[in-house]
Amino acid sequence: MASVLERIRENKTSYLYILPALAALVFLVLYPFAFNIYISFTNMNQYHIRDYRFVGLQNYAFVFTDPDFILVFRNTFVWTVVNVVPHVAIGLALALVLNSKVRGKSIYRIFLIVPWAMPSFITLLIWRGMFNYQYGVINAFLGQLGIKSINWLGDPGWAFIGMVIANIWLGYSFMMIMFSGALQSIPNELYEAAAIDGAIGWREIRYITVPMLKPTIVIAALLGCIWTFNNFNAGYLVTGGGPGISTSIFITRAYNLAFSLFNFALSATYAFVAFLFLFAIGVAWTRYTGVMRQAV
Amino acid sequence: MISQPNSSAKVLSVVKSVLKHLFLIVMSIVSIYPVLWVVSTAFTPGETLATGWTLLLGFVPVPTSPTLEHLSFVFGWKDFGLWLTNSALVTSSTVVATVAITLPAGYALSRRNFPGRSQAMFSFLLPQMFPGVVTIIPQFLIFATLGLVNNYLGVIIPYTVSSLSLSVFIMKSAFDSVPKDLDEAAIIDGASEFKAFRRILVPLTLPHVATVALWAFMGSWLDYALAHVMLSDNNLWTLPLALYSLIQPNYTLFGTFAALSVIMAVPVFIVFMIFQKYLVSGLTAGAVKG
Repeated sequence: MASVLERIRENKTSYLYILPALAALVFLVLYPFAFNIYISFTNMNQYHIRDYRFVGLQNYAFVFTDPDFILVFRNTFVWTVVNVVPHVAIGLALALVLNSKVRGKSIYRIFLIVPWAMPSFITLLIWRGMFNYQYGVINAFLGQLGIKSINWLGDPGWAFIGMVIANIWLGYSFMMIMFSGALQSIPNELYEAAAIDGAIGWREIRYITVPMLKPTIVIAALLGCIWTFNNFNAGYLVTGGGPGISTSIFITRAYNLAFSLFNFALSATYAFVAFLFLFAIGVAWTRYTGVMRQAV
Repeated sequence: MISQPNSSAKVLSVVKSVLKHLFLIVMSIVSIYPVLWVVSTAFTPGETLATGWTLLLGFVPVPTSPTLEHLSFVFGWKDFGLWLTNSALVTSSTVVATVAITLPAGYALSRRNFPGRSQAMFSFLLPQMFPGVVTIIPQFLIFATLGLVNNYLGVIIPYTVSSLSLSVFIMKSAFDSVPKDLDEAAIIDGASEFKAFRRILVPLTLPHVATVALWAFMGSWLDYALAHVMLSDNNLWTLPLALYSLIQPNYTLFGTFAALSVIMAVPVFIVFMIFQKYLVSGLTAGAVKG
């Protein structure tokens, strides 16, 4: 024990160095997180901002039978899947094509990186403008093809599709960048050996590229799930979660519950349930990549 | 090559190349389309987009008689000056605070082997799993109690914290990549530890320091969710709140919105293109390697 105390004493400055960062995390992330869990067991809302009281599992009992919650739950999972699958597929296709012999790669790459390089806060609001029913460019374009104007942000179904289109646009660039990096690290000898064995073109991709990329694809897909599940901007800026709550996902519903309806307790419940799902994804991810072992 | 290329193989390779280019061209157009639209809107007269533009080739929006009215309006707008100043203040404070807190922490985690190091590491990793909204509500309540709503500290502190977890890991792995011998040799030669840090470690990890600063910049320059909660007084608004207010469902000022979008995006875009290599490596270092 003495030696530990001694080592602590020797390392006084080490603690000083990490103290500001650690204190900030404890007071502004870990404590609020615990506080959020506590709020979810109270009745804190606009009528009980200060004089809230403990109500046990009442909020949880309420949400699990609430049709609104079930809608939001379904939206969140559909939202995650219909975004991440195209992100990975388009990103992979672009990376493969750019990795093959094709002219003008560097020019294409500059254009293709734009959705990632442009700030998403701005581009999502731009999509909101482009989806405008009366004056939006998308309806103008559809009009030229003889398709009647779509009420993108006013109709629940179309609003969801619109929000997904905007977010698919937002996400494939990053996947392309990740996969391009991984493709470049595949040793050329593998392809040369395969060519001697007669594997060229499509079979090359199937038997070398895809197996070699598999770890990157899995990590990218899991990261993509976490980001998409959690993406406030993408869920909020195009549709605001509406009309009504029709396009709400966990994170946007929690936000609106707290800051439009001032139902902090219910909002905290949504937020904590969302965290539990994320935690499950996170555990799976950690298991797969062994991130804790490497980090510590 | 094993087989001689014959004419049908040649045709096949031409078809393949055409298909590849077609795919890349379509995706390139899709990728830059929103930017095309916003730039064209910024130069289209009037605020409604009811008239004044047309679709070139059936899909490229262009103003029929381009105007500078929106750009000159924004630059002459008194509120724009105010909001820009607010944003600049909040953003620069966040960047300075983030770098000042992150570098020592990364240094201690990389160079020192103190009791509790791995526990500290774990507490830095944990917050990466929390959805932002889980902490926004209690943060708001805490800051309300402290009287920091409608106060810049109410956004600067959370912004600094929000990128901290990732930044500490970026700096830790950056310092790890510098051989220990370098700074140890300097210390043996009589340099103080701080001097070795400042003269050797920081210069060698400058791209990572830049990455940390950039994430802090981006997080605060472009945040809406927290600013909307913390800064309701529109004299304190930052630019994202202003931009959002211009594009309401029943009332959209397309011209002003587009001009302000362009003005806000240009600096970020330039910086992003210059640093994209570092940003990707920093991101994967934080996310994958830990």
